[in-house]
Amino acid sequence: MKENTFDVIIIGGGITGAGTARDCALRGLKVLLLERFDYTAGATSRNHGLLHSGARYAMTDPESAGECIRENLILKKIAPNCVEENGGLFISLPEDDISFHDQFIIKCREAGINAKEIDPDEAIRMEPSVNPDIRAAVAVPDGSVDPFRLTMANILDARNHGAITKVYHKVVDLIREKENIIGITAYSTTEKRLEKYYAPVTINAGGIWGHAIAQLAGININMYPAKGALLIFGHRVNNVVINRCRKPSDADILVPGDTISLIGTTSSRVPYGQIDNMFVTPEEVDLLLREGQKLAPTLKTTRILRAYAGVRPLIAKDNDPTGRNISRGIVLLDHKKRDGLGGFITITGGKLMTYRLMAEMATDLVCEKLHRKSSCSTASLLLPGSGKSEEKSSKNLKRTFVFSPPVRKERAHRFGELAVRMNMDGKNDSSLICECENVTVGEVKFAIRNLDATDLISLRRRTRIGMGTCQGELCSCRAAGLLADNTENILKVREDLRDFLNERWKGIRPISWGDTLRETQFSSWLYNGVCDLGTIKENKTTDI
Amino acid sequence: MKFDTIIIGGGLSGLVCGIKLQENGQNTAIVSTGQSALHFSSGAFDLLNKLDDGTEVDIPANFISLLPSSHPYSKIGYDKFVKYCREVPSLFKNASINLKGDPETNGYRITPLGQVKKTWLVFEDFNTMNTAVINYENVALCNFNGFLDFYPQFIGDVLAGEKCKYKRVTLDLPFIEKLRHNPTEMRATNIAKVFDSEENIEALLKEINSRCEFASTIMLPAVFGLYSLAPVEYLKEKCGKKICLLATMPPSVPGIRTQQMLRKYYSYCGGAYMMGDTVEKADMDSDSVKSVYTANHDGIPLSADNYVLATGSFFSNGIIAEPEGIFEPVFDLDTDNDPDRSNWYDNDFFSRQPYMKYGVKTDHDFKPFRKGRILENMYAAGSVLSGFDAVSEGCGGGVSIFTALCVANKILGGE
Amino acid sequence: MDIRYNISDHNFEQCLKCTICTVYCPVVQVNPDFPGPKQAGPDGERFRMKFPDMADTSLKYCMNCKRCEVACPSGVRIGDIIQTARIKDKKTHVKLRDAILANTDIVGTMATMAAPVVNSVIKLRPVKKLMDSVMKIDSRRTFPDYSQQTFEKWFRKYAMKTQSTYDRQVTYFHGCYVNYNYPQLGKDLVKIMNAAGYGVNLMEHEKCCGIALISNGLIKQAKWQAGKNMDGIRKSVLEDNRTVISTSSTCILTMRDEYPHLLGIDNKDVREQIDMATRFLYRLIDEKKITLIFRSDYKKRVAYHSPCHLDKLGWEIYSVGLLRMIEGVDLMILDSNCCGIGGSYGFKKENYDVSQKVGEPLFRQIEQVNPDFVATDCETCKWQIEMSTSARVKNPISVIAEALDVEATYKANLKNQR
Repeated sequence: MKENTFDVIIIGGGITGAGTARDCALRGLKVLLLERFDYTAGATSRNHGLLHSGARYAMTDPESAGECIRENLILKKIAPNCVEENGGLFISLPEDDISFHDQFIIKCREAGINAKEIDPDEAIRMEPSVNPDIRAAVAVPDGSVDPFRLTMANILDARNHGAITKVYHKVVDLIREKENIIGITAYSTTEKRLEKYYAPVTINAGGIWGHAIAQLAGININMYPAKGALLIFGHRVNNVVINRCRKPSDADILVPGDTISLIGTTSSRVPYGQIDNMFVTPEEVDLLLREGQKLAPTLKTTRILRAYAGVRPLIAKDNDPTGRNISRGIVLLDHKKRDGLGGFITITGGKLMTYRLMAEMATDLVCEKLHRKSSCSTASLLLPGSGKSEEKSSKNLKRTFVFSPPVRKERAHRFGELAVRMNMDGKNDSSLICECENVTVGEVKFAIRNLDATDLISLRRRTRIGMGTCQGELCSCRAAGLLADNTENILKVREDLRDFLNERWKGIRPISWGDTLRETQFSSWLYNGVCDLGTIKENKTTDI
Repeated sequence: MKFDTIIIGGGLSGLVCGIKLQENGQNTAIVSTGQSALHFSSGAFDLLNKLDDGTEVDIPANFISLLPSSHPYSKIGYDKFVKYCREVPSLFKNASINLKGDPETNGYRITPLGQVKKTWLVFEDFNTMNTAVINYENVALCNFNGFLDFYPQFIGDVLAGEKCKYKRVTLDLPFIEKLRHNPTEMRATNIAKVFDSEENIEALLKEINSRCEFASTIMLPAVFGLYSLAPVEYLKEKCGKKICLLATMPPSVPGIRTQQMLRKYYSYCGGAYMMGDTVEKADMDSDSVKSVYTANHDGIPLSADNYVLATGSFFSNGIIAEPEGIFEPVFDLDTDNDPDRSNWYDNDFFSRQPYMKYGVKTDHDFKPFRKGRILENMYAAGSVLSGFDAVSEGCGGGVSIFTALCVANKILGGE
Repeated sequence: MDIRYNISDHNFEQCLKCTICTVYCPVVQVNPDFPGPKQAGPDGERFRMKFPDMADTSLKYCMNCKRCEVACPSGVRIGDIIQTARIKDKKTHVKLRDAILANTDIVGTMATMAAPVVNSVIKLRPVKKLMDSVMKIDSRRTFPDYSQQTFEKWFRKYAMKTQSTYDRQVTYFHGCYVNYNYPQLGKDLVKIMNAAGYGVNLMEHEKCCGIALISNGLIKQAKWQAGKNMDGIRKSVLEDNRTVISTSSTCILTMRDEYPHLLGIDNKDVREQIDMATRFLYRLIDEKKITLIFRSDYKKRVAYHSPCHLDKLGWEIYSVGLLRMIEGVDLMILDSNCCGIGGSYGFKKENYDVSQKVGEPLFRQIEQVNPDFVATDCETCKWQIEMSTSARVKNPISVIAEALDVEATYKANLKNQR
């Protein structure tokens, strides 16, 4: 086979694409994955990070609920370093309809979810931050998931099995031969050139952007972009997921994840043209805060780090010409059957939670098309980083390198057996780049060398730099220094730094008052005042 | 306890005001909640770099008349502004701080990210440049192995752009290696503490001499002399080559030293500096302050003939932003701001941010208002004032020092 | 699932990551195993919420000097955050050595009974070696002498009877050091207060303030002792209308601030009446309620060192103010530096070197200034400075007592009262 010929091309570097790449690669296919920006840049990173137990859907969508609980158990097994088994509560407040609560428990059990009615006092003991006025509570096996780490673990494993993955490759055309798609044309935004790749099957895993990809083939998918806004709080307010036990509504889930908690979401339809320009309005902030306080009153006096919004890739069912019948379930479209166009599949809908199942369904279809007999193993094979136990790698780390206990614990937890690979250059690598999130020099270098991190924003997605309390004030320039060590184009790194701080500012702006504004002013003094980063001189030669 | 003047806030403005008053025979106290923003100083004081409309400023005095009347410099006025320009170097000299540069004309400095930026007077570690062009020959651009708050990558890029010949040198010294043992604390100040010993500077010089033979100029991060200028002087004197120190990311060693020296001099003049204390409430009548109460002194009132509010901007909690509005927390003074929160910010982090100009509203004598009435025995000075943007106009240091001098002179009954 | 500490009862979120605290931390510079106040304090707090069971062994290197808190521009109680985390962390049993160092009053009682023996035995090299190797109490450390008669005994025997003859009354919290090691300081205080027209009383059941128990993790016992002390303070302040004063800055800081912040003991009702003797005197003089008259022949060059905990209280001005009132005192204020002892911290073998390195700048300056003696308000600073420099150290109260013209003062204050 030629260099540019593959068994399958996957479009989209979100969790669905990454999971599909892994599954295909594990089944022995020659895989190419193309992402127009960066891994996890879309909806993958713009959600609750909730490891659903399925309880949320038990009342409205039993099928999704069942999928969720099955995948929940699988993820806990295959990716322990990406999930936190926090447990969850569904609470009923005095204003909530208690009959919903009773029905809820029955429906949960029907879906196979271990839902336990617990005494309100017991719930408060389990999670002291919960609203003390609760009338009833149900414990469910909710948890948290780190979508960044989960996606990269899938990418790494796909590559370990021969897949090629490329970021900053935008698919601009689908190559058609008669009634079949036989390849794609991609534009490399870094190399600034067009590239052609061929494969008998192309998978559209572009999420909400899959709409535009399908259009390249003249196919229409009825996407309905729904915006959801969320707030991130400065620390773990709760250690157990808190849900409102009522019909899904605004700001009814508070999820602890890593060092923070987040509340969400709102829900509003947005025009398709706006999906690349999401911002949070003051009204949405106020709504989230007002409703959030009902879950945990302490949110009222907790610092907010930032606000952000994502777009759910909701899709109208094909048999519904009005488009009102929106599905939250998995949608696998074989365009041969649906539109008479061979070699092209769309996998969409679904959730972060069910990415593996989506990948399995898509890969099954690919194998069928390629007449390969191969069964899926992603439900049992561990993902990279989940190998060794925390204990052991923690000890290994201690022996070789100097770390404070929280840093050591954190690294062992995040990277498992990979942690030792993050100290290639000796002692320097144990210094901290990001002090809020305990990100070391070694971790940043690892991301630059092995995880396609080419700029600060992608570094943040790989390592959590700039995600903590100071939102990049201390760490972004340090990370920029490391990036500069790995490139000739220093000017670009400085522009990167500017873009990064602006990207952080976008999320800070809606909530910038109190301590957050103090922090903002401090950052501004530093980068505008002391460093004068705002007026980079352009058009300079960098060679002597 | 009774004082002639109580100054609330112990940063640049509070200290300058206190020193001026003590030098003229007053008995004053400064109450300071922790250390000040001088700890993040660029190593230079800006006076006025730019007008709001983007006009570049070379001789600041020539532009005073163009500023809006709400600007602190407009309230000071041209004559006094010119006088203060000349007075500042000698005032700092009293505290053994030598400021370099032309007090009437802006010069240029190199920022930690390698930008060349306008400034006024610089601390003795640094050199000002008369033009925006970096003009060095054969530079050894040095950093200490593992020091992450200094960026030879960026500075080198700028040197290259200016066609300066340079080579990057990474210095390895055993006593700095020891610092790196701690993953979080290899900071400018920690390195500076190591170089407090002449022995270690000697070791550095030896390393420089063996590694940088090719160079005529040695560029180093400004990590010398946390408590006194002696290590900087020693280094410059003993090194056979020209030493050019460059600012690091915070904490700023030259800034901290300046703060300490001002504070020491203030105490030497007999002022009472209450560090780590906060004014919590005040006894007031409709148009004056009778006494203030602090966190540390329980029910003991501190009283004075005059009060100076030098509590800084948002960062120092001099003014506080809540979703509903912006207020001054100690005396509930009137503030200049925009009641609509969505107007506080610009979408571009690097553009002029409207909130920067918010602060305490004052009359032309820097007397603040409370519920619309002037407080007769109170003044505001420094970043707590409204009407200027320290960052976009490049005037933070100047406003802090000049308004402090102006207020001190008013209290002393001069001018 | 046990979720105990998921809600911040501290103000760690006000930390702006400005790193000023680490500039002023005396430990971080000399001990790289300590991650620094920012990292161990507010930064670490976020991770401790994530891993509630994580034992962070590096926290024990914090001396609890509170310099970070004094320097913080955001009012973050960094020292409290670290100490609270240590308290929650304490799972392993407390070492015998730590228990002995922490139980200053029990050990004091025993040692006082056998003072001549203890004082000489403790100085014997074999004994020191034994303590060093078995107990891990550093052999280079000199121990304070124990007095043959406790202050309490002396007071009850010689001073108590006459106290009721004074119109005004205070309660004296003498602390362990005055009681077991240096009764003279207590006697000095009684002398000054009596001359000023104040009778001195002791609390009925004074216990050690508990600072050493807190820093060695004996929290249950610390709470019990604090409770006893609070009973005594409440009786004195609320029933007898007597302010409680002390000559030790650490005892005062502990009872005023560590009780509520670290032990969760509310003291709001009496907190303002827990006072340093120097501040109490200064206020009385400032308000013209008493007069102190000093001998004209008293001439000394004094260097004043402000202990970390007095800095934290913000009360240096009172001690300095009093010393400045003595005309014959040529006063020089030493730079604000930690002496390095940190209470029982410096006695531990593993901390000795750190402790001495921390103190170096202070020792150097004292030797340069070469005063007649150093004045400071803290007993452990006194031990450390006397061990590490050639200077003698006195409490400001002792300096005042030395310089005081007792008769003239007594007469002047009789007039004041009439």
